[in-house]
Amino acid sequence: MPEVEFQCPLPNGLHARPASTLAERVARFGSAVELTNQRSGACANARSVLEMVALGVKLGDRCRLSFAGADADEAARSLRTFVDEELPVCDEALPAENTTSAACELPRGLRASCSRWYTGTVVCPGIGEGRVVVVGGARVPPALLALPAVAAAQERERFASATASVRAALETRLASRPAAVEEGILHAHLSIVRDVGMTQRVAAGIAAGRSAIQAVAESSSHFADLMRGAESAYVRERAIDIEDIAFQIIEALHGSRLRSPQLDLAEDSVVVAESLTPRQFLALEKQFLKALVLEHTGGTSHAVILARSFGIPTLTGVADVRAHVTDGGGAVVDAHLGIVIPDPAAAVRRFYAREQQTLRRREERLARFTGLPARTRDAQVLEVAANVATLEELGPAFASGADGIGLFRTEMLFMDREAPPSEEEQFAIYLQAARAAQGRTVIVRTFDVGGDKPVPYLDLAAEKNPFLGRRGVRVYPGQAQLFRTQLRAILRASAFGVIWMMVPMVNSLEELRWVKARIAEARAELDASGRRYDPALRVGVMLEIPSAVFGICDLASEADFFSIGTNDLLQYFMAVDREDAGVAGLASARHPSFLRLLSKIVADARAAGRWVGMCGEMTRSPRNLPLLVGLGLDEISTAAPEIPGQKAAIANLSFAACRELLERALACGTTAQVEELVAHFREQGAAQNLLESEFVCMDSDSRSKEEAIQELVSALYVAGRTEQPRALEDAIWAREAVYSTGLGFGFAIPHCKSDAVCANSIAVLRLAQPIEWGSMDGEPVRCVILLAMRASDQEGAHMKVFSRLARRLMHEEFRERMLAARDRGDVLSCLTQELELPPHRIG
Amino acid sequence: MKIVAVTACPTGIAHTYMAAEQLEKSARAAGHQIKVETQGAMGIENELEAKEIAEADVVLLAVDIEVEQRERFEGKRIVEVRVAEAIKNPKAVLERLHA
Repeated sequence: MPEVEFQCPLPNGLHARPASTLAERVARFGSAVELTNQRSGACANARSVLEMVALGVKLGDRCRLSFAGADADEAARSLRTFVDEELPVCDEALPAENTTSAACELPRGLRASCSRWYTGTVVCPGIGEGRVVVVGGARVPPALLALPAVAAAQERERFASATASVRAALETRLASRPAAVEEGILHAHLSIVRDVGMTQRVAAGIAAGRSAIQAVAESSSHFADLMRGAESAYVRERAIDIEDIAFQIIEALHGSRLRSPQLDLAEDSVVVAESLTPRQFLALEKQFLKALVLEHTGGTSHAVILARSFGIPTLTGVADVRAHVTDGGGAVVDAHLGIVIPDPAAAVRRFYAREQQTLRRREERLARFTGLPARTRDAQVLEVAANVATLEELGPAFASGADGIGLFRTEMLFMDREAPPSEEEQFAIYLQAARAAQGRTVIVRTFDVGGDKPVPYLDLAAEKNPFLGRRGVRVYPGQAQLFRTQLRAILRASAFGVIWMMVPMVNSLEELRWVKARIAEARAELDASGRRYDPALRVGVMLEIPSAVFGICDLASEADFFSIGTNDLLQYFMAVDREDAGVAGLASARHPSFLRLLSKIVADARAAGRWVGMCGEMTRSPRNLPLLVGLGLDEISTAAPEIPGQKAAIANLSFAACRELLERALACGTTAQVEELVAHFREQGAAQNLLESEFVCMDSDSRSKEEAIQELVSALYVAGRTEQPRALEDAIWAREAVYSTGLGFGFAIPHCKSDAVCANSIAVLRLAQPIEWGSMDGEPVRCVILLAMRASDQEGAHMKVFSRLARRLMHEEFRERMLAARDRGDVLSCLTQELELPPHRIG
Repeated sequence: MKIVAVTACPTGIAHTYMAAEQLEKSARAAGHQIKVETQGAMGIENELEAKEIAEADVVLLAVDIEVEQRERFEGKRIVEVRVAEAIKNPKAVLERLHA
């Protein structure tokens, strides 16, 4: 029996790609060919990519190919040449394995206890902990697996046709020229469908009396387990592909889509998936959905938009996370830092329990502002509304204090279904929205499909560049009936509340006139049938194309209002594809040119006497808020969870100062200059006390220096004194690195100069148990006083207080008074007197 | 003994002033005359005058960073210590001035 021995020349081992090349070469011959990894002794059918990959052949491993059959000698000669000449060069470099996730630095309090974490992009901030539920894997409903087998011949036939249909579906997608990333995945999936090892194993299962479904499930877990046991992370990750494909074959065998049973959450859960459809997301029990982690990159998919409006902490772009977490195990998602920590240790859980408590306190504090209109200190009112896409989101939006719905995206009603929604179905939805709003305005945007949001029954032809193709209003003339149905439904609902109608992607006055003519027709029909509607229904334009911005004066003849859609306006204005990570960084909403564009919009809308709002990503960053207030918009519409914070922040701003900030930003030459201005922006008039009773924490249970600093910073964060608690902590630790601020006598005075704090502040921590601080006298610390000073604002009066405090600490009477204080009030009055602070209301 | 001193720490928020306070307190208790200039976040405070420097027996620098206007002390006897030493053990620091 001829044999060919070789040493694996591939730096990344024999993974899927070189294994497929080898299998293709073997396929030219009729002989049976077996590959043995001599290191482990394991062998595989050299026609099966899966079996070969599962051998885990690494660089330098000694391997043997053995041949049996009529053309064995010829095959051996050919393969000899192949392993010598082609195998070494058939692989391109793989991206380096990311074994240490050192890309992101952990907060101090986690460094000692957390060894493994994976990073992604935060699309909705928050912290969530729960049991990992992997959605979209090959979890076959047990009932299906329990179905008994019919005759083996029939099961074999069913398997063959199911495989053929999955294969055909993959080939169709490949033929539609998908993006390179997807193409690679499709090829990998095709090779699994075609894999001989897989097919043979299923056939053997059927021969042994199993149903095709059972045999596929068994083969899938067999190969997936082999992959999971591999040493290479790359190979381990392929387990998911096998399960995906097996699941698709089982769906084909079953004859219909299987509703994933994993969607039925029963306890606090962290849902992990490649991606989720909006339907899948909506099916999840929100009460138990504590966090969402997606491999898919991008912050604008519909599941992501939904997650954001429900305030579910969400990360996207977490590479291969399904291979790193254990389904059914625990995980913590920190969607501030952008990390997921599988199987968290007790110390990690304690860290996050404290963090969550901080977030809860902050929420409670912000809740004071939710019921009130947002008003600046100089009495400028700015409506803060919510963006929603479904009825389910209205409750949370109004509970967060939304003054209205600034954007009701309706395309979700049209997507993910076989046929368009009827007039009655739509009417019922808009009616419920109007009623839920209880007199507040609901801006309903007519459906915006095309481009990134394809709808199957609309049969929109594929376009080379869908973002510049038929989208929004451009679709309506070709879908006149669909549009008419929506107009009638919106008009009818307008009789029951305050509904405004907004048209997306308007480029010209003609388009708007066309829409207005259709509205007039719809009204005439409703009149004729005696249906009610609001005759004064306002119709407005979503400003997202630069040409519309330069046509505001013309559009105003037909438009009652404008709302700026910053996502698309930014990408069209800057010529930057917002989904393309390679250039997305170029499109900053703080680019001076974009600010000038926004300023022009508001000025032109004002000149035309029109209401102007803004919906879109730009409203989400607290950093942009002073600029938005300065613009003098009537409204901003944002994700519901942002609303309380935005309202609280507006109450601390003055329109005049924001106006001045905007003027200076408009005069900047670069985005960096604007960033600089915004980062150092602080209201001069907003004199704030150095010390508030909220900054005093008594009987703290902090157990370490890390926890103590975290707790002090959290107190400032809860009170709104810092929006960047991590940066503030870092600044404090940077100072701590010079030498410990433990000054002896049981006191420590951590301090920093950093603009991460919004106003100069003193915070106090009295510890229940003394902690080690590396003090000058080696004694543990019982009282910690944090001095946080702004780098760009070293106001003399505050500095005097700090230096007075430092001096007072050298006196025993003062220290004893601080340690003897029974409650916050005592601490506060002690410091107020000793530091000669302005009289303080204590209570 | 007549002492002039300068205190200066890296951030100039706390230790500069703690050291100044400790030195003033301890020097007076020991019957010395002392004036402490602080070089902190607010700049130079309680600045030493040329006459005071001239009359001083010794210059004490309790500093962790470069002292500003060091040239004022040219020709004087200078004792330099870390800020932390002045805070932790001001008496020992003052004793070193007797040498």
